[in-house]
Amino acid sequence: LPPPAHLCLLTLLLPPLSSAAPISLAESISQAYSLALYMQKNTSVLLQTYLQYQGSPFSDPGFSAPELQLSSLPPATAFFKTWRTLDDGERLSLAQGAFLALTQHLQLVRDDQSDLNPGSPILLAQLGTARLRAQGLLGNMAAIMTALGLPMPPEEDTLGLVTFGASAFERKCLGYVVTREYGHWTDRAVRDLALLKAKYPA
Amino acid sequence: MALFVVFQTTFFLTLLSLRTYQSEVLAERLPLTPVSLKVSTNSIHQSLHLQWTVHNLPYHQELKMVFQIQISRIETSNVVWVGNYSTTVKWNQVLHWSWESELPLECATHFVRMKSVMDDASFPEPNFWSNWSSWEEVSVQDSLGRGILFVFPKDKLVEEGSNVTICYVSRNIQNNVSCYLEGKQIHGEQLDPHVTAFNLNSVPFIRNRGTNIYCEASQGNVSKGIEGIVLFVSKVLEEPKDFSCETQDFKTLHCTWDPGTDTALGWSKQPSQSYTLFESFSGEKKLCTHKNWCNWQITQDSQETYNFTLIAENYLRKRSVNILFNLTHRVYLMNPFSVNFENVNATNAIMTWKVHSMRNNFTYLCQIELHGEGKMMQYDVSIKVNGEYFLSELEPATEYMARVRCADASHFWKWSEWSGQNFTTLEAAPSEAPDVWRSVNSEPGNHTVTLFWKPLSKLHANGKILFYNVVVENLDKPSRSELRSIPAPANSTKLILDRCSYQICVTANNSVGASPASIIVISVDPENKEVEEERIAGTDGRFSLSWKPQPGDIIGYVVDWCDHPQDVLQWKNVGPNTTSTVISTDAFRPGVRYDFRIYGLSTKRIACLLEKKTGYSQELAPSDNPHVLVDMLTSHSFTLSWKDYSTESQPGFIQGYHVYLKSKARQCHPRFQKAVLSDGSECCKYKIDNPEEKALIVDNLKPESSYEFFVTPFTSAGEGPNATFTKVTTPDEHSSMLIHILLPMVFCVLLIMIVCYLKSQWIKETCYPDIPDPYKSSILSLIKFKENPHLTIMNVSDCIPDAIEVVSKPEGTKIQILGTRKSLTETELTKPNYLYLLPTEKNHSGPGPCICFENFTYNQAASDSGFCGHVPVSPKAPPSMLGLMTSPENVLKALEKNYMNSLGEVPAGETSLNYVSQLASPMSGDKDSLPTNPVEPPHCSEYKMQMAVPLRLALPRPTENSSLSSITLLDPGEHYR
Repeated sequence: LPPPAHLCLLTLLLPPLSSAAPISLAESISQAYSLALYMQKNTSVLLQTYLQYQGSPFSDPGFSAPELQLSSLPPATAFFKTWRTLDDGERLSLAQGAFLALTQHLQLVRDDQSDLNPGSPILLAQLGTARLRAQGLLGNMAAIMTALGLPMPPEEDTLGLVTFGASAFERKCLGYVVTREYGHWTDRAVRDLALLKAKYPA
Repeated sequence: MALFVVFQTTFFLTLLSLRTYQSEVLAERLPLTPVSLKVSTNSIHQSLHLQWTVHNLPYHQELKMVFQIQISRIETSNVVWVGNYSTTVKWNQVLHWSWESELPLECATHFVRMKSVMDDASFPEPNFWSNWSSWEEVSVQDSLGRGILFVFPKDKLVEEGSNVTICYVSRNIQNNVSCYLEGKQIHGEQLDPHVTAFNLNSVPFIRNRGTNIYCEASQGNVSKGIEGIVLFVSKVLEEPKDFSCETQDFKTLHCTWDPGTDTALGWSKQPSQSYTLFESFSGEKKLCTHKNWCNWQITQDSQETYNFTLIAENYLRKRSVNILFNLTHRVYLMNPFSVNFENVNATNAIMTWKVHSMRNNFTYLCQIELHGEGKMMQYDVSIKVNGEYFLSELEPATEYMARVRCADASHFWKWSEWSGQNFTTLEAAPSEAPDVWRSVNSEPGNHTVTLFWKPLSKLHANGKILFYNVVVENLDKPSRSELRSIPAPANSTKLILDRCSYQICVTANNSVGASPASIIVISVDPENKEVEEERIAGTDGRFSLSWKPQPGDIIGYVVDWCDHPQDVLQWKNVGPNTTSTVISTDAFRPGVRYDFRIYGLSTKRIACLLEKKTGYSQELAPSDNPHVLVDMLTSHSFTLSWKDYSTESQPGFIQGYHVYLKSKARQCHPRFQKAVLSDGSECCKYKIDNPEEKALIVDNLKPESSYEFFVTPFTSAGEGPNATFTKVTTPDEHSSMLIHILLPMVFCVLLIMIVCYLKSQWIKETCYPDIPDPYKSSILSLIKFKENPHLTIMNVSDCIPDAIEVVSKPEGTKIQILGTRKSLTETELTKPNYLYLLPTEKNHSGPGPCICFENFTYNQAASDSGFCGHVPVSPKAPPSMLGLMTSPENVLKALEKNYMNSLGEVPAGETSLNYVSQLASPMSGDKDSLPTNPVEPPHCSEYKMQMAVPLRLALPRPTENSSLSSITLLDPGEHYR
């Protein structure tokens, strides 16, 4: 191979090597923020797709049932002052806990839907993608926490409390709450990370 | 003995008393009340499960009992169900019984009690019902947990069309609860302040993912909660249709059926229905893995009869169909194999095939289908293992497709699949003579015969035609016949024959042989007969032709014509008894003239032209208008003519012409009619009905008027195209008269001129005879005779008749002296130059603005001194004008020309000179130089009187230049080198 070709190959090999190296805090925050922003664009599509497959009342236009909550999933809504006064570690670990629960719940919803709606590859694919992104965001947040020198929250099985004998309607409701909360938590994560981004500029 | 009797009696009594005691004990305990009644619920099946025991039953004894069960809802008095349950009861047995509730158990408290009665034959009547057990209360509501609203039953599976009761439990009676089925509100019956039930009758199947029913609790407009259920409605399981079994090899039975609707539901609530095959004789059962077919292995050769039951089953229903058959009656043969054709020739072939052997001594019924030439033939044949069929009456050189299928001949069940093969029959000699026709062009000494033939149809060609043989035989002179072979795609050939009768035979040949010959005889004089052409009209692209029957032996008629624009000869054969035919092809085009010739064919195969027809399949209007010439234009008439217009090559028969004439006059001329043109303008129209009349005299016109005309031919389809009118203006009446006078006059003048020319000598002599030469005059002799030596005849050449002083114009003046060959141009002059044509002594007299002529006529002195003496004749004379003019005659001539005959003629013989003109104009004709002259000399033509006027006084002072120029001018050596 001529020398320029060698150089080209070298440059191709370099990025994986560099990615293995620890990246800076600002870079971690920026990556996490970008991912959260990207996720935010697709959350409403996921919710709408999900509702469309569940029949009335879910598929009715303008359906909303804020009273439906899941005990196994922490609510994303919080008082602003409470949220703002949280320190970085608390804020991040709350989000981490929520996304950890969300990944498990999204898996449960996907399983349920593959049973109820086997002929809906779009919904199943979207649920799978959402779970993978939530996991990705978890990884990014972990990197930030490591960079900040914060202790990692212990992984717990939030779904251990889920009853498997839930009725079909209950499972539809669960899916609704999970996809809805996934959106809410993504919105919150964007705000969390924006705050961090401002605090630790590149 | 007595003791024995007593003992026996005692024994019997004891036995009796024991029996009596037993009966009393049973009678005392009866009726046996059910005890330990426990009621549990099954939420999935919405059923109450009862279990109880009956105490005090005899040990090791089975008794038949009837239990009456009462079920109440909400309160004990509200009995919703009463029923008996009969069973045999053993000692210490726990009895079980279930009851399915229509209303979900969660929505209401249920109460159960029962009583029993002995229904056993071993106990004598009467039997009494036991007392009721105490009411057993069943309530699931307490176990519902937290929540404000609950809807039941959850995930119930029902069949389409069944009735379902659903209910909700609302913890808070303040809440307003509305329930919806797939978005439509449903209304129910309130069972208690917390519970409302909805009876859904005949629930429809909406989707296999279930039907959502939900209730919403709200206070005012604020939603407090939403709860629902999914009702899984299954389609009703259908009975399998078209269930049948058959075998191809006596080893496997292949059973098929139409499964109908799939009743599978989502959320694994119900899978697709299962199918099970059960054979009753063998008692074997097989669960089928496919939903519409199943294979059954035949294990026992001896079993001939089968009784199959196909059971379709889902969670809600079971359906079955049954067939009973003999195995040998259900034989579906495998398709035949080794299909071959043997001994294939032009018209027949032997088809062979084989059948998969089933059992010994099996007879097969086979069906053969033969497809070829767009036809299908079917044959049935009964065979053993090897099949053979003789296919006959086939067409030569044809591709056929033959296929065969077989079935059991003894018990026809169904045909096997087809097995087929293609084959092609061999060629045979063409079966029919080609259809041949000819066209003859007679030329002096010979005729050119073009033979045409039509390709044989596939039916008659019997193979691929390779060539055509044309045999020409002279009928008049015994000679060898001539054979020509023309390769196949050709359909014509040209023969040049002398003026003899010839017989021409044409055969078509393929690889096998020749067709019958088609014979045509060309007579000595084939087409000499003059036949009148008749016009016919075609309709809808077809021509109907009819002709007079021909006396004599006619074997048929031929009609021929040419296709346009390809110019291909076409013909049609018509039988001898027919005298009319319709010629119809797609090739006929509108606006094209077709010429049909009708020939009769004699028995000697000589064609004789009978009639000619010509016509158009559809006439069109003429495509162009004639080119019209206007002749004989007079003040009152003109003639229009279009002799060059061809009436033959038009898209229709020209019937005549329309001549349109426009004039300013409103009135049309006689013979003309008023007509309105397409553009709305009015004009006069004249119709000429004869197509050969190609001229029209338009008369009765007004002089000096303008007329416009337009000539267009017409056919039955209409006129020619619109074109512009041509304008003609009639001339003035007098001008013609003038011409009448002028022409003769011109003629006369010309005549006179010619006469004059011819007689010029005479005229000359008459009008102006030659001046006699004095030398040659007779007078000379007379003079000599008088001997006067001083007297001589003046020689004209010796004289300088006059002196002309030419005053040259200022600088730039061109002075031209036009001689026979010279012109002088003086451009270098900047000062006025004057050309003096003077006696040489006065050469340097100053230039003046005037041209001065000294009139010697009046110059007495000069006259006295002698004319000739004034002229310098010595060789010393400066080469002035004399040098220019080779002779004084030239000078004279030049002067004559340039100075308006100023000197006039100087007859040499006269002693006195006649000076004709008294005026002279300035010599210079060049006006360009005039403005450059600051001092324009006064224009003056002066007639010099005899006074001696010094020239210098009258003239401006000459400069050196001017004098130089004068010299230069006068010195031809300088200028004409």
